[in-house]
Amino acid sequence: MSRERIDPLLGLLRDPSAAARFQLADWDALIRSARRANLLPRVALDLDERGLTGLVPEAPRAHLEAARVLAAAQAAAVRREVAFIDRALADRGVPIVLLKGAAYLIAGLSAARGRMFSDVDILVPAETLADIEAKLMLHGWASAKTSAYDQRYYRRWMHELPPLKHHTRQTVLDVHHAILPTAARLKPDSAKLLAAAFPVPGEPRLRVLAPVDMVLHSATHLFCNEDVGNSLRDLVDLDSLLRELAVRQGFWEILAGRAAELDLARPLYYALRYARGVLDTPVPDTAIRAADAGRPPPWLRGLMDGLFLRTLHPRHADRALTSLARLSLYVRAHWLRMPPLLLAQHLAVKAFRREESVG
Amino acid sequence: MAGAIPDPSSSALRWRSVPPDALAWRHWGEEWVVRNERNGNTHLLGPVAGRVLELLAHAPGPLATAELTAALDPTLGASAASVEDVLTEFRRLGIAEALPG
Amino acid sequence: MIVADLARPVLARRLRDEGLRVRTGPVVNRIQSRLPRVAQGIALHYAEYPVEEADGFADFHVNIVTPRGVRRWARPQVHFQFDGMRAFLPLPADQAFAMLEWGLNWCVSANCHQYLIVHAAAVERSGLAALLPGPPGSGKSTLCAALVNRGWRLLSDELALLDFASGFVVPLPRPVSLKNESIAVIRRFAADAVIGPIVQDTVKGSVAHMRAPPDSVQRAGQPARARWIVLPRYESGVGARLSPLGKARAFMCLADQAFNYDVHGRRGFEFLGDVVGGCDCFEFDYADLDAAVGAFDRLSRP
Repeated sequence: MSRERIDPLLGLLRDPSAAARFQLADWDALIRSARRANLLPRVALDLDERGLTGLVPEAPRAHLEAARVLAAAQAAAVRREVAFIDRALADRGVPIVLLKGAAYLIAGLSAARGRMFSDVDILVPAETLADIEAKLMLHGWASAKTSAYDQRYYRRWMHELPPLKHHTRQTVLDVHHAILPTAARLKPDSAKLLAAAFPVPGEPRLRVLAPVDMVLHSATHLFCNEDVGNSLRDLVDLDSLLRELAVRQGFWEILAGRAAELDLARPLYYALRYARGVLDTPVPDTAIRAADAGRPPPWLRGLMDGLFLRTLHPRHADRALTSLARLSLYVRAHWLRMPPLLLAQHLAVKAFRREESVG
Repeated sequence: MAGAIPDPSSSALRWRSVPPDALAWRHWGEEWVVRNERNGNTHLLGPVAGRVLELLAHAPGPLATAELTAALDPTLGASAASVEDVLTEFRRLGIAEALPG
Repeated sequence: MIVADLARPVLARRLRDEGLRVRTGPVVNRIQSRLPRVAQGIALHYAEYPVEEADGFADFHVNIVTPRGVRRWARPQVHFQFDGMRAFLPLPADQAFAMLEWGLNWCVSANCHQYLIVHAAAVERSGLAALLPGPPGSGKSTLCAALVNRGWRLLSDELALLDFASGFVVPLPRPVSLKNESIAVIRRFAADAVIGPIVQDTVKGSVAHMRAPPDSVQRAGQPARARWIVLPRYESGVGARLSPLGKARAFMCLADQAFNYDVHGRRGFEFLGDVVGGCDCFEFDYADLDAAVGAFDRLSRP
């Protein structure tokens, strides 16, 4: 893959010391790019960690400081929210597994550093969903999507309850029973994920996914998820997870095998390819070769390279072509998750309702 | 807290605030403002509530309603009943907890 | 260089092409728009404001654009874009300048967390600031407009920026927005006030903007210590009445009106406590602007 002229954001993510060479115009581009990508606090903390914040001119430095404050407030809010959820489900008898940002934060992983949070995501056994939903509603959560269509869509075809919003705190909780929809083409077995989940030190009732599974979930989320505006942020997550978790004994050796076992070989292929290609993530050649089992046919790989790399390179955000690329990825993400007939119906309904709200 | 909620009118109850490092407060004249780190909420408290909060936060151990009432400045004119009302409200707001005696 | 130094055709071209970089207090806005109404509004209201160089740093990049499509001619609309992304629902094209003002406020309130940002007007006299917090309809903009036409300096009409580092109010002088009857009231009260065109039928009623006094713009680099917190309420029949307000209540009002109080957690609580502790606090009922200004002048005399 060729690397086009280095966008200041990508340059900084790969090597924070590049900040020393930035002119004001570079900072101007960087702050905008990073804010769009939800990575401004991350950049601020990367610079802090290397003692480089003093090099930043005053005007852009104010934005870095503001972003840091915002991310810290969100992290505190997530901790509180996890405590509320834990208390609400205290007598459930089954462990709940935290996913994504909340998991990184509670487990103390570097992927949580400078992260922007919105919802809390948890994974529970499918058979406990009704009981969990009932307990949560007792403690003040209610369904945020009230149309009958959305209720059906989420429960039957997606892999989660419709998002739950707490009536006083206004926080959102996503309760999943699988990491991909039951109707999707890829079928990772939730029971295996739950069985392998790790306890969190100091939190008797909370679990997180096993390290290899956490990486695979991140890869899946990145390449199968519909929220393509967050692609670079998701890739940064993946990069952080790999740098911290892959140093463990035997990690790389079991990664490809576990991916095959969970039907996630294709997402793993893309994840390693793009993490290494875009962020210089240190992935051993042996791991790349092992992941090759999940590679797509060459014509598709070329297309995906074009689509993803356009989305990931922030500089292109101003150009019309990227909107098309993002839309193509959105359609593809849904394609991976839902049967074609339902996909067309769902997108049509979503499009219709969006116009309704703008009138 | 699992189990049944203790009846606040039982004199066997003892009260404590959430850990003091989770609370921040200021007072000017008779009114107080307090922020609870546990839930991020900020509240306006009257003179009795403010003083009860201060006593609970500084107490080495849980206190009974009668002990709190006795420790209040008499000029506040607070009865045990009004102190109980304050404590019930504190529990609702997540500022204090009741422990069975 | 200030905006008035640019010839009108040059101003219009810059807005259409690379954007105009205007400094408003601590914030530089790069503004782009092809719309004549926006250029006119900027020429009127931002004449005295510094223009920054193109290869520098702009805090916010905003566009006011007309979307493509049939609506362009039928009932034309405008969008506000922040960093290339549409931020709000579109508005009728005649509200383009008002949309710019609301959008610039939003940029600050959503991003400038180096300050505690309170939804309040702020004015200064003798180096000391009065904060006028209040929800829309409390009359704070009308009162603010009156005061700055009678010798008080405009620090801000909508967003009071409280600086954590210094504890001072940092000026963000921008056009004062007036609504409905206030427009006529201020025209009568201050014949010299420069007020732009009235736009009808916005979600807030009729809206017009009063130009910030040039002195306020020129002194945008001078912060002021907060000394008074005054909760205004327009109350017909009352000349002007200041009533002392307990500081705890003033604290709750400011916290309630602060955009980012929750973002700052414990630190915000302590900081706001310090600010309130150093202020005299009042409720203020008024109907007569001359009496109101008199009351403020007496407040500011030692």
